[in-house]
Amino acid sequence: MAKIDEQDIILRLKNPSTRRRAFEVMVNAYSRRLYWHIHHILQNHDDTDDVLQNTFLKAWNAIEHFKGESALYTWLYRIAQNEAITYIKQRRNIDSLDDEDFILTPTSFIADDHFDGDQAQETLMQAISTLPPKQRQVFCMKYFEEQKYEDISNLVGTSIGALKASYHIAVEKITKFIKQKE
Amino acid sequence: MSTQDIRISDKTKKPYPFKVSDEYFDNLTARIMEQIPDESVNKNETFAPIANESRKSIRWWLKGASIAASLILIATVSIRLIDTKETAEPQPTASNEYVTDDEYNEALMTYSMADNFDVYYYLEGDTEE
Repeated sequence: MAKIDEQDIILRLKNPSTRRRAFEVMVNAYSRRLYWHIHHILQNHDDTDDVLQNTFLKAWNAIEHFKGESALYTWLYRIAQNEAITYIKQRRNIDSLDDEDFILTPTSFIADDHFDGDQAQETLMQAISTLPPKQRQVFCMKYFEEQKYEDISNLVGTSIGALKASYHIAVEKITKFIKQKE
Repeated sequence: MSTQDIRISDKTKKPYPFKVSDEYFDNLTARIMEQIPDESVNKNETFAPIANESRKSIRWWLKGASIAASLILIATVSIRLIDTKETAEPQPTASNEYVTDDEYNEALMTYSMADNFDVYYYLEGDTEE
């Protein structure tokens, strides 16, 4: 991902004559990272592709309201997270706000063309899919991407203490799932 | 794989076990931008200068339209005047046709559609100061 001057991009996004080009630069710079963050929640390429496109379309329509108080990627991430959860909600026709209702049913990832792991990794992904969406995402960012708690905290808007507790609980749930499967 | 295993394997753990081709990301930006409205095209269509030949044809059209509108207006007014002359009662004029001032004032009030008695009395010359 090419480094971009975020302040410069924000200024260009606010100018109608340069907005479109700046938006294209932004998409190019952030789409890969955003894709994987969405994939952590949805664990499916086609669904992730849909939500990713919706995220950028939503961002385009809301670009004039972006105040620049948060980082550009943080703003995109929040839109993406909402879109992903809305996507699950619509697919399952869920009205509840309970995190437990958004848990994905463990599926066979081996059959997924985009899965590139072994049996052990499939078991791990099945365990992760039993976590609530936000906890699932925090676990993936910490475990797979090795992000610092501080960076995760700035992105998701949750305190470092809460993130550490969430990660610890996630690890225990995953461990329990794997033991039951063995 | 236990909790300890997960922590220990931090050093040897495998990455997120999903892959996507680079081609997907190469095409992604173009696919997204296709769905974004091209506002610059709309602006050009609205504010683009009209070509000289287009200006000439517009001038001809305007001339023709204004001539036609004038003819219609003249015809309409003429027809109304003709109708008015044929059907209307003889109109009193500011001449010696009126025998008395009363008749003149009354006619004036009628045609001015004034129903203000102050005006009427003024014309009569009976205003009180």
